[in-house]
Amino acid sequence: MTQVPDSRHMTATTATRVLGTVALVAVVLMGLLGLVVSPADVVQGQAVRMLYLHVPSIWIAYGAFVLTSFSSALFLFRSRHRHDGGRHHDRLAGSAAEVGVVFAGVTLVTGMLWGRVTWGTYWQWDARLTTTVLLFVTYLGYLALRRLPADPVIRGRRAAVMALISFVNVPIVHFSVDWWRTLHQKASLSVGRRPEITGEMYWTLLYSTLAVTIVASWLIVHRYRVIRLEELRDEEALEALIASRLREDDVQA
Amino acid sequence: MSEVTTVATGWGLSFVVVATYALWVVGRGKTIGRELGIGGREELEPESDSSKPADS
Amino acid sequence: MLREALLVARKDLRVEWRSKVTIGHVAPLALLVLVVFAFAFDANAGLLEFGAGGLYWVAVLFGGTLLIQRAFDVETEDGNFDAFRMSAIGAPSLFLGKSLGVFIQVVFLELILGPGVVLLYNVRIDDWILLLASALGGTLAFSVCGVLCGVMAAGLRVRATLLPLLLVPVLAPVLLAGSRAFETAFGVRAEAGWTWASLMFVIAAVHTAVGVRAFGFLLEEG
Repeated sequence: MTQVPDSRHMTATTATRVLGTVALVAVVLMGLLGLVVSPADVVQGQAVRMLYLHVPSIWIAYGAFVLTSFSSALFLFRSRHRHDGGRHHDRLAGSAAEVGVVFAGVTLVTGMLWGRVTWGTYWQWDARLTTTVLLFVTYLGYLALRRLPADPVIRGRRAAVMALISFVNVPIVHFSVDWWRTLHQKASLSVGRRPEITGEMYWTLLYSTLAVTIVASWLIVHRYRVIRLEELRDEEALEALIASRLREDDVQA
Repeated sequence: MSEVTTVATGWGLSFVVVATYALWVVGRGKTIGRELGIGGREELEPESDSSKPADS
Repeated sequence: MLREALLVARKDLRVEWRSKVTIGHVAPLALLVLVVFAFAFDANAGLLEFGAGGLYWVAVLFGGTLLIQRAFDVETEDGNFDAFRMSAIGAPSLFLGKSLGVFIQVVFLELILGPGVVLLYNVRIDDWILLLASALGGTLAFSVCGVLCGVMAAGLRVRATLLPLLLVPVLAPVLLAGSRAFETAFGVRAEAGWTWASLMFVIAAVHTAVGVRAFGFLLEEG
């Protein structure tokens, strides 16, 4: 991120070209492993293949959320001595949040389709899906805050506080929903329990998580650079505005 | 929906969403770069492989 | 700090007393919501009684969000939030004072909604202490979370839509806990009412701590 972007391709650098190629290869391999090589499950059948996307997506959705929160905390409390006023943390927070919301969406869609086949319904009020829905909307709120027109540092601080509130809130949500559903399932058989995953499927899952993480990292880096470009553009626009105002004053004077 | 259709839909949708997002990010970078006037000079190079759409 | 907070709260309540918006507009609206729920559930008495706990909190959410909007709208003249922002009163006191003001107004709202639910949905109250404790916990949590989100949306053109978007996910566990606690108090369900009530107090405490620390950041000129 400290390298100067290649002017022809704007957000690319040698490092990310390598990363991107690795990501593409990893994804192709993931497809082969997940869809072709690995076996169908005894219980779930082909549906287990959905988990190779669903579980890594959850990991990214929540991992990115943690990253956003940490960056936000750093932005609020550790920016004073930085030469850029902590903007790096703010950009990273925003970038991770956007990638997070994309993967939260993927989590929900794959989860619903998996549930359709396994449980018979698109939705089940279990802790994981319900918390993910709330995480998804929380992200949307955070991103809406980031889009408000304001001084970038002020806007960044406001979003950062929201991120921290959410960081506290999402575990509380998970805990509450889990407790809620556990109370309900005491009475009946737990239909929503996810079966264990072993053997080749386990390794496929592990590999998929790695592949998806590489893709997500590539996305976060590029989104970060685009945010920096957006900030540059806004600064230039502001400078142009000020300059034209000064010129008007000169003319009138 | 059969199992195979479901898996295909799930994987397909996921790929489409993520790929679209990736293309959007890269595309936005190029657009803003052009707006800022960065890179205009370099595009005069003869061996330009900038015809490749999605790159890293 | 507490005395300043009380000053802030008293000012807000005086404004409310003069305008009577809580009693005149918001409470009737919330009661209407209770009626509309009956339409939605086809006046099925069993369903309404079973769902009364949750429906109550949805109505509180609806009315309470309006009250939070208003709590910050009164500080804004022509979108100008500066008087509040640059007040001589410290940020933590502003936060506590605002929260107290909202809390009292929401209590008034609930004093009307509570009997509304009891009468319209024909619930009986098995456990008064649990009911009042969970109402207290839920309203405390609602107030502090509401003020935190409210200040983030304050003065903005998009505040009416941004506030609920920020607020509802933050309040989700409170709504969940409140519904379950009330159901237990109504005798509809026999589970863990006090655990749910305690959870709401914990949420209130946590967000109060966050608010006291972070309100200053949120008051910066934007």
